[in-house]
Amino acid sequence: MNNCRTGVYICSCGTNIAKIVDVDAVVSFAAGLPDVVLARTYKYMCSNPGQEMITQDIRENHLDRVVVAACSPNMHERTFRTALKSACLNQYLLEMANIREQCSWVHTDPIEATEKAKALVHAAICRVRLHESLDSISVRMCPNVLVIGGGIAGMTAALELADAGNTVYLVEKDDHLGGNLARVDLTAPYLYSATDLLTERITRILDSEKVNVFLASKVTELTGFIGNFKATIQSPNVKLAAYNKPVEVEIGNVVVCTGYKEFDASRIIHYGYGKLPNVITSFELEKMIRTGRIETKEGKIPGYVAIIHCVGSRSQEFHTYCSRVCCMTALKYAQEIKSAIPGCYISDVYIDMHAFGKGHEDFYRRSSEAKTLFLMYEKGDRPVIHKASPKDDCEMLIEVNEKLSGELIEIPADLIILMVGMEAREDSHEIARIVNISQDKDGWFIESHPKLEPVATTTDGIFIAGTCVAPKDIPDTVAQSRAAAARILGRIAKGRIEVDALYSEVNEDKCSGCRFCNQLCPFSAIEFDKEKGHSHIISALCKGCGVCVAACPSSAIRGRHFTDEQLLAQIDGLFYDYG
Amino acid sequence: MPIRVDPKFIDVLDHYGAEDVQLCYQCGDCSTVCPHADEIYKFPRKSMRLLQMGLSQKIETTLEPWLCYYCGQCSTQCPREADPGETMMSLRRWLISRYDFTGIAALFFKSRRIEILSVLFISLLTGIFLGYYGFSGGSVHIYDGEGAFLPSTFIHQFDLMVGAILAVFLVVNAIHMWYLVMIKGTTFSVPWWLYLKELYQLPWHFFTQKRYSECEKKHKHPFFMPWFIHLGLMLGYVTMLVIVMVFIEELQAGPEIHWPVHIFGYLATIGLLSGTIYFIRKRLKKNYVQYKKSHGTDWVFVTLLFIIVLTGIFQHVFHRTGLFELANITYVFHLMVVVPWLLRMPFTKWAHLIYRPMAMYLAAIRRDAIIRQKVVTDPYLVLIK
Repeated sequence: MNNCRTGVYICSCGTNIAKIVDVDAVVSFAAGLPDVVLARTYKYMCSNPGQEMITQDIRENHLDRVVVAACSPNMHERTFRTALKSACLNQYLLEMANIREQCSWVHTDPIEATEKAKALVHAAICRVRLHESLDSISVRMCPNVLVIGGGIAGMTAALELADAGNTVYLVEKDDHLGGNLARVDLTAPYLYSATDLLTERITRILDSEKVNVFLASKVTELTGFIGNFKATIQSPNVKLAAYNKPVEVEIGNVVVCTGYKEFDASRIIHYGYGKLPNVITSFELEKMIRTGRIETKEGKIPGYVAIIHCVGSRSQEFHTYCSRVCCMTALKYAQEIKSAIPGCYISDVYIDMHAFGKGHEDFYRRSSEAKTLFLMYEKGDRPVIHKASPKDDCEMLIEVNEKLSGELIEIPADLIILMVGMEAREDSHEIARIVNISQDKDGWFIESHPKLEPVATTTDGIFIAGTCVAPKDIPDTVAQSRAAAARILGRIAKGRIEVDALYSEVNEDKCSGCRFCNQLCPFSAIEFDKEKGHSHIISALCKGCGVCVAACPSSAIRGRHFTDEQLLAQIDGLFYDYG
Repeated sequence: MPIRVDPKFIDVLDHYGAEDVQLCYQCGDCSTVCPHADEIYKFPRKSMRLLQMGLSQKIETTLEPWLCYYCGQCSTQCPREADPGETMMSLRRWLISRYDFTGIAALFFKSRRIEILSVLFISLLTGIFLGYYGFSGGSVHIYDGEGAFLPSTFIHQFDLMVGAILAVFLVVNAIHMWYLVMIKGTTFSVPWWLYLKELYQLPWHFFTQKRYSECEKKHKHPFFMPWFIHLGLMLGYVTMLVIVMVFIEELQAGPEIHWPVHIFGYLATIGLLSGTIYFIRKRLKKNYVQYKKSHGTDWVFVTLLFIIVLTGIFQHVFHRTGLFELANITYVFHLMVVVPWLLRMPFTKWAHLIYRPMAMYLAAIRRDAIIRQKVVTDPYLVLIK
């Protein structure tokens, strides 16, 4: 083993680390270890002076390995890699020891914690010795984009990308564009017409030479990796292709905007949906409003209308989440019905009024001013709908424990509107499989980071936007679509993309061609080369997770930056007897 | 059994002045600032809720509207500008019409035209009757004694007759109120002796209006407190009523002043005059929340009272200065306002003279009964006012 020159940096993280771990003791311990040229401590290593200290030390002391004992590498590995880079040292010659999350934050005994910190630092020093200089790989970025879903989200993303001069393939499963928004009349809270919002977009898309629209079509396969995907589209309407013959397109990125479907109200037996003719869903009311006549099935003008919130949402039996748009939509109905039928009395039966968005609180107030009767029910204590007796002046009665008055009441109603919530589409599982992204317990697609990466996924090059991620309203949906488009445009502008050097490699001489790894790879990054008879890892697609490394019966796969030797050295370092 | 919600009720209450009730989202700020709300009598929040839901069959059995003296703090605090103070006022108006078995009160509250026409009608009828009586038996030049235009003995009988009509309506309505509150609205048993124990509440609240004074924290000097002015007005009114009903002969005798009777008359006049001027001024200026929204019936009430006081003063002055003809004519005009005013009483705001002390009395009895039996009326709302 060559002698290397290691610099060790112990961060105090303010008092986060220093209040439990005796950082000075760790520094003097590290300074005495072989190959360690210097060891230092600093209040905040991640701060600019902290980074400059590392850069300067590398230059002045000719360091060729760096160990930073601080927080989780998730937090600041990138920061310290940049510090190495700016000192012209390969960024992979860094190792971090996590003495915050895995030490100072979880221990209370300072002596033991300091010993653990020493062990972690020692392990890192032992490991970093074996680190190799690795180069990131750079791949071509195909400027074409595939957008799945032709609703407001998909169309917005498609236009944003096409306007920047890129070819977009827009695949829509229905025979028309517009998605769920096309079923809506006016939008809350500013009462813009949904048709107006859509028409302009649809016309522009159909006129655009850059957007290729595939209606009544499906994406059946997606192969390749970021910048170099190949998608197969099953479409009946492509002029050039023979009928029903799939089309193959080359793309660099994918935006998934597959939207939602409404909750099936007949699943809640209390509401008698499907049995009582005048219990309708919000979408059925939208249809009535668009035809211009709100009436019961018998053709009568309703004297009492009741709106029930949270149908399928916020309940233990169905969906625990809030569908976010129903409260405002319900208020919109209250106002629309009152202005269409001034003599009609509207009861709004809700659990909580979620009026959190811009203009929503004012909208709520306006519905109160329209004399809507708001009645609150307890979550889990659902209202029950009965048919009224002939001597009542209404068709139906809703029985409910009213929370604000504490009374058991019955609400007269001729027409009952169920505010059906949003749920993930049945085919979302298939989409997730095709584009290789994950879903949460409710079927929504999972973002790479819920706060910092809301439109990216764990698969590079696949973006998600709109209500396929979670229930959201139109402004949020449009914002996400544009965000996804902006992310893609940024990458297209670069022309090429850097891929992390942490991928695995197959030693072709050792590979027996058993293809175990092909099936195990969670990123579909392993191909089988039939001619040569062994597996091959597409480095751009590989995330370096190491599943194949562990699984390979011939030990033919090596995980770069996570080699067996490196890991064993780290373990040895951890269990070294300090005496 | 569930109670039927009546979304239409809110429109009915519109006529009584409750316009912004549906804005309320039940935050409970109003009940927190209210000096009178407590664990047993929860208002205005709960009254607002019952009204929003149109539970009229519940509201008619509640006493809460009478426990509010409209200091206006709740309306000032309300984050939704739902005006709980005015709502309580409207509920009092509605309760007056509910206690009234004739339906006249409801008509008056709903239609200003009917109210004014009926006042004019009774007024004309009184004028014709008194004019006919005066000219057929007496002389317009004589004010009192032998051959008087309107002899005091006749007026005395006339007063007692009007008083009797008034009393019948009031007593029947008060019994109706008692029935609604204590029989229909009370699900727990109330021992009879509680009625005796709390009997002192009736005169106490009638003569002191103690709770009204507890409302007024913002006025430093008692002289400027609406409570003080209101008390003066009310005591003046009651004193005058007693003088007119019992001592009319002494009151009308003259022209020399009978101090043992007239001193009370003067004091009552001061109370009435300052009271009416004060409240007319407040209602015109509208700088306090409780005087911002004057219902039509409020104006009829205070204006008629002001005319009565003025004509009464003129009549007294004319008589004492020897202008008997003028005194007699003013007397007719005075009675032309007094009679419709008195007959209007049981159907209007004035009836709170009876209902308020009655409500305090019944509220105290109910409170005792509830505490005695530890009856929790409402499991949800015990902790919230």
